Amino acid sequence: MSIERIDPELCNGCGICVNSCPMDVIRMDEEGKKAIIQYPEDCMLCGWCVVDCPEEAVYISPEKSSPLIVSWG
Amino acid sequence: MAGMVAAIKAKEKNADVTLVDKGYAGKSGSSPYAFWYAVFNPEWGHDLNAWMNHVNIIGEYVNNREWTEIVFKESYDRYQELVSWGVEFIKDEDGKVRIYRFPGIETESFQVKKRVFGQVIREQAKKTGVRIMDRIMMTDLLKQDGRIVGGMGIAMESADLYVFKAKAVVMCSGCSSFKPDGWPVSSLTGDGEAMAFRAGAEITGKEFNEPKSTSAIHPAPTMGMFLWRRDESSVSTRPDPGPPQVQALKGVNAEGTEVFGLVGSNFIELEFEAHAGRAPILSRTPEVQELIPMVGGAASGMSIHTAEGLWPVDTNGATTLEGLFAAGDSCGTMQVGAVYPGVGYAICGASVTGARAGRGAAKYAMQADKPEIDEKEITRLKKIIYGPMDRKGGFSPRWVTQVLRNTMIPYFIMYVKHEERMKAALTLVEFMRDHLAPKLTAKDAHELRLAIETRSIIHNAEMKLRASIFRKESRGTHYREDYPRRNDPEWLAWVILKQEEGEVKITKRPVPKKWWPDLSKPYEEIYLNRFPGE
Repeated sequence: MSIERIDPELCNGCGICVNSCPMDVIRMDEEGKKAIIQYPEDCMLCGWCVVDCPEEAVYISPEKSSPLIVSWG
Repeated sequence: MAGMVAAIKAKEKNADVTLVDKGYAGKSGSSPYAFWYAVFNPEWGHDLNAWMNHVNIIGEYVNNREWTEIVFKESYDRYQELVSWGVEFIKDEDGKVRIYRFPGIETESFQVKKRVFGQVIREQAKKTGVRIMDRIMMTDLLKQDGRIVGGMGIAMESADLYVFKAKAVVMCSGCSSFKPDGWPVSSLTGDGEAMAFRAGAEITGKEFNEPKSTSAIHPAPTMGMFLWRRDESSVSTRPDPGPPQVQALKGVNAEGTEVFGLVGSNFIELEFEAHAGRAPILSRTPEVQELIPMVGGAASGMSIHTAEGLWPVDTNGATTLEGLFAAGDSCGTMQVGAVYPGVGYAICGASVTGARAGRGAAKYAMQADKPEIDEKEITRLKKIIYGPMDRKGGFSPRWVTQVLRNTMIPYFIMYVKHEERMKAALTLVEFMRDHLAPKLTAKDAHELRLAIETRSIIHNAEMKLRASIFRKESRGTHYREDYPRRNDPEWLAWVILKQEEGEVKITKRPVPKKWWPDLSKPYEEIYLNRFPGE
């Protein structure tokens, strides 16, 4: 799973994590004004989001599974 | 590092500088993992000949000694400059910068404060007057009458098109990879090298490897090194055993035999163990006695820091294309050779080549004519860039990337090489290039980025296979099962790839004879490492 959760209760909507992510995994939810995990499969576990979040709202795990290969996709 | 240093140095020469970054400048590329910085200073008792010899011998004599020397000699000036900008280095309790020495390695290194230095340099760049544009992915170079006159890119969130006119361009896009899930080089997809190749630049160093291993339990956060919490502790299961380049004891194979490697070789020995049927391999180092299963290929598709990318034609990072410069891991200085021989050469090299390329590009721009761009070329490239979004059907970039990974990452393609297997893989990669890449689809801006990256990693796979097939010998991290010995008279040379009239032209450029080892000595004395079967 790699990036697991951004706690909406803790997220202050500053958007720092969106800029921090080199993989473009996180986006801002324009309605809720909170950071959301938009593309979790592309997280490379660099940890910038965890290090940079001023509210300690981001949780990552060392677990990451590769996608199952199928005939086409 | 390289891009921001280049931007600052160009701005200091009064150039009008725009820095464009796919991520956030200061946090993109390899910056999450960079911290070692080699500093040479004769006043500290360092011996240039000893430092040079270390790289020459471990790099197996295909390092470019002119660049090796330049980087060592200028490392102290760049270090002092970084300090003057506010970059912090780890200090001992007495307030002196901590010096890291490793067994078997002649050179010494400092550590920059992890994760902080990028922002400090970014602030310096802004203070100097550099215009920074974050989260714009450059996709293509613009070429007019044989000269690079700018580039095109897309915004990460909106996919809006950006067209940049420039009197000079400095390429600082890092190394290439197959975008593995493992060691976090996923962001280093070689887009810069791919666009330069399409524009006709010469590329080198593609046959060598960075054979990193990782924990079989948690393969993504390699070696537990890089998944830090805020307090810099690791959330992974394996303690950090230190830089892999210096771990002579690599692990214990399935027969219970300890596996040792040459300093700098990373973990290519483990690929040989796997090939011999002696996997699983369990890690054990002097510092970490607990046995943990390992797997290889964590940095698959990456060549060697500072030893792959655009071939420089001078010591200011000018490339074979007029108006295009390169620095950092994008620039094939061959500062190290066939093996990454120690600790701290990458960001030290990035700061030195960045400074040189920045100054060189500024000097060129001052005398260059105002660039003219043919609108037809912009229209042509725009159609290619947005093709995946315009297409109604085809293949997802994630699936094509996974197909490419499955083809290229297994040990028997790029780590234990054989002509028959590489030609088979090349046939598949050419199919991906000709039949899958042109049918990539993207439903949003993020997938458009993935599609462009997928095209780049297919390019990287093709280049690595072609260079590896071409070099018919073994050397450093390039091991050919069918040619298991070094062949000095033929292959003390650099492999050069170039696109001409739609075809890949491959040649070799000899290492100057004055840099060759003394070939009258026994082979076993010249080369410390033995390959299986030689």
